Amino acid sequence: MGLVARHWGALLIFGGAALTPILVRDAYFLDSLVLILLWGALSAAWNVAGGYAGQVSIGHAAFFGIGAYSAALLGTRFQQSPWLGMLVGVALSLAAGAAIGYLSNRLKGPYFALSTIAFSQVLLIVASRWRAFTSGSEGIPVPFRPGFATLGLGHVAWVYLALVVALLYWGLELWLEHSRFGYRLAGVREDEDAAQALGIPARRLKVIAVTMSAALTSVCGTLWAQYVGFVDPFYVFSVDLSVRFALNAIIGGMGTALGPFLGSILITSLETYLRATLSGVKSGFTGIYLIVYGVVLILVVRFVPEGLAGLSARLWARARVPS
Amino acid sequence: MGTGPGAIVTTSAGAPPLLTLDRVTKRFGGLTAVREVSLTVAAGDLLGIIGPNGAGKTTLFHVISGYFRPDEGRVVFDGRDITGQPAHAISRRGLTRTFQIVKPFGNLSVLDNVMIGALTRVASTRQARAEAAAVIDLCGLGPHAGVRARTLPLALRKRLEVARALATRPRLLLLDEVMAGLNPTELVAMIDLIRRLHAEGLTLIVIEHIMAAMMRLAQRIVMLHHGEKIAEGTPHEITSDRRVIDAYLGEEFVLADA
Repeated sequence: MGLVARHWGALLIFGGAALTPILVRDAYFLDSLVLILLWGALSAAWNVAGGYAGQVSIGHAAFFGIGAYSAALLGTRFQQSPWLGMLVGVALSLAAGAAIGYLSNRLKGPYFALSTIAFSQVLLIVASRWRAFTSGSEGIPVPFRPGFATLGLGHVAWVYLALVVALLYWGLELWLEHSRFGYRLAGVREDEDAAQALGIPARRLKVIAVTMSAALTSVCGTLWAQYVGFVDPFYVFSVDLSVRFALNAIIGGMGTALGPFLGSILITSLETYLRATLSGVKSGFTGIYLIVYGVVLILVVRFVPEGLAGLSARLWARARVPS
Repeated sequence: MGTGPGAIVTTSAGAPPLLTLDRVTKRFGGLTAVREVSLTVAAGDLLGIIGPNGAGKTTLFHVISGYFRPDEGRVVFDGRDITGQPAHAISRRGLTRTFQIVKPFGNLSVLDNVMIGALTRVASTRQARAEAAAVIDLCGLGPHAGVRARTLPLALRKRLEVARALATRPRLLLLDEVMAGLNPTELVAMIDLIRRLHAEGLTLIVIEHIMAAMMRLAQRIVMLHHGEKIAEGTPHEITSDRRVIDAYLGEEFVLADA
């Protein structure tokens, strides 16, 4: 199979995203595109731990928040570039991710998931109470300073920046599917005992995967904060956000490279559409978004448990077989 | 198989044993699952372990392969004390095992399952895939290489356990009831496979309940009962041992054998 045939879905999505700013100038539309790509990249980051290593976290907002706060605080308190903030966020998230990854060797399944929630909630309390340093629950407005070094960019530039990140994460997961490390990690996910019998240091691989996942999440946290321009502790450390990372990947297809992006396209555009149509007079209905979210999740788990990526692979295989 | 360094088979009396258990004891709370078991396995041996359910056979495998740390005693493999080392490190030294309750990587193909075993030794996925394909053919899994492991019937899953372990090119392989639940045809195929591996120089320890198979395979048999080694000898010696008959085989076996 050729490269194009194998990755036609990715070509369609990323190629489409690359062409959109040339064809469309509507700021609202481009804004949605940036969010689709960023949420997709965040789910891809979650996917490294949850999908490829089988360590399902519901606390990844912790790393997102670390990335967001690192850049915002360095920028506003010390007048440093958000790129430096991104690096600091990655360093902190590597440390926190290694700690959480180590926990995954002690706590299995739901206990691990619960401990990740607890971790993100602890960070929420610190960020919202430590007024002197983080401005507490008021949050931090990130000033817009035009230029690439300060990440003060227009919509078009943001689309391409988010696209580059999305492509890098997608490429990383393709590597995970075809490399020695990825195969062995899949062994650990499927059965830890059997993996160890084959000489695989299962615990070390899990820690590496969770740590990688944390750092990737942190990078997007920084970008998101710079893009949106405001860091609210109750949002960046929220369980809602952690659940979003996980659900996009589950709906799109856990442990697949394109899945998180498919999930993000579906969920982010649904959310944006519903928010827009149900605003104003009908604003009482905005919560209906959550109901739709739930219904989509139930349908996917019931009918395509392998996610949208699995569904498209199935349809593709059927189309290629002459009936 | 057995082409790696140190895999040269020397069964001469002077050669050091490949595996030595020295008074190994494993307790769970008040229960002693394995009590002061000592045994030696020379390179090229095929040792059988028999015993009633709960005799401590699988626990002994867990201790040897690094899944349980023994409370007392030592495990020496190839001249090195491996007591309490993690399972993955022991596997890398050339001692691996299969599981009584099979543990396939269910969502992966048979080929990928075996390839992960080969990737322990080789860095290149291409080479690992080629080696895995050869092992799959050896184990008669060729027609199923592309199938998801979880869809395999039990007999083939048991073969997959063996194939995956073989892909690591062990020098000592522990087989935990790989024949249980097989029909007569499948049983003969498995016995043939084990014989072939042994003939090629692989050292094996086999846990099995099927005495007929054990009689045809093992050079020596160890009998465990309540965690203790109560007999050891050739298949013939074992089946005529009074304690073994009383604890495990029963009078019917003696009559049928006569």
